[in-house]
Amino acid sequence: MAKTRELVSRRKAIRNIRKITRTMELIATARFKKALDRAQEAEAYTRKIAELAADLASAGGEISHPLLVTHDKVEKSVLLVIASNRGLCGGYNAGILREANHRLRGNRELGINTRLELSGKRAIAYFRFQRIPADATYTQYEDKPRFDEVEELANHFLELFMSGSIQRLDVAYMRFLSPARQTPVVETLLPLSKPNTSQSKAGGEEKKAGRVVEYQYIPDAKEILGQILPASFKQRLFKCFLDAAVSEQIARRVTMKAATENADGMIKLISRQYNRARQAQITKEIAEVIGGAAALQ
Amino acid sequence: MATGKQLRCVVVTPEKAVLEQAAELVSLPMSDGELGVMPGRQALIGSMSPGVLRIKSGTQIRRVFVDGGFVQVRDDVITVLTPRAQDGADIDLEAAKKSLSVSIPKDAGAKVMKEHHNTILRARAMIRAAKPF
Repeated sequence: MAKTRELVSRRKAIRNIRKITRTMELIATARFKKALDRAQEAEAYTRKIAELAADLASAGGEISHPLLVTHDKVEKSVLLVIASNRGLCGGYNAGILREANHRLRGNRELGINTRLELSGKRAIAYFRFQRIPADATYTQYEDKPRFDEVEELANHFLELFMSGSIQRLDVAYMRFLSPARQTPVVETLLPLSKPNTSQSKAGGEEKKAGRVVEYQYIPDAKEILGQILPASFKQRLFKCFLDAAVSEQIARRVTMKAATENADGMIKLISRQYNRARQAQITKEIAEVIGGAAALQ
Repeated sequence: MATGKQLRCVVVTPEKAVLEQAAELVSLPMSDGELGVMPGRQALIGSMSPGVLRIKSGTQIRRVFVDGGFVQVRDDVITVLTPRAQDGADIDLEAAKKSLSVSIPKDAGAKVMKEHHNTILRARAMIRAAKPF
């Protein structure tokens, strides 16, 4: 008797948990769609900026800009880790933190002084546990990162880099490749990689059009390029945050889906055990009744 | 000069594509003054200052505040890339006016000064975008 009751209460508990995970899955699905839409809307700007930079680079000849200078000796760098504020999203945070830790250790071996900046409570908690002090922490970047917020951060990095207090900026985040594939990466955002000239990148497209567009530049190509590089950096950093937001929701959805399925399996198993136990109990009771009746005769 | 041709004006911010519409004349707030663009213009890449983007189609003139950025004109398509854009009708005039009258200490650093200057420029452009003269 005791066993069946125990099974019933366990089954009930699992049903409740299943309800929660199922709801979280649905919420994550809805948020994922929104985040993905935002990321796709931002795509247009990214593409256009890259296109402009490429056109300018091919027109401006030799480009030199402080943001493009690669330092031979990197003494100080910043590692920005973008993780989530909340857990229950499977290997999402673990993957990012592993990559970040790897880079951190690599930097230490190379003798690079690394300034650690963390975004997301999960990252903060992890590094606190590892007893690695963080230099700056942010928790305001959620599933809807706003450009204004990211721009502030970007300006801070630009200033550090331009003033020469850092020679490199790395960002550890979950890159979104497709809804079914995301990989944790550490990407070097500063110094910026040189914009591809249109010969190498947009070459195919322009050949199709059959001509190279002659642009008029106001004020001139070099100056515009000087302004477009910071904008392009800001956009790349913003894209990191957007990617992270999308990936987080996907990770949570997948995890919660698995959890719901596990709960289903457990409910089935426990139901079966419960039915067996009940059956056994009834059989036992019948046997007792029969036994009792036989004893009376 | 009714050539029958029309411009297509696209405004994009890092967050989303703000507007896309056909126009006959588009006036851009370039870094060295206003620039009007009509159909058939030579291809152009330029940088903009905070200002008002005017889009004329038919008898309607639409004013949009843009916070600097870049513009590309190519094959009668005007692409405006700007960190922030706001339709004139959506601008909070009071808030913009308020930011005009914000004062900063006299001995503020160059950085604060510059920021303040930018804020004023932005607020002025916003006010211009919000009310037609």
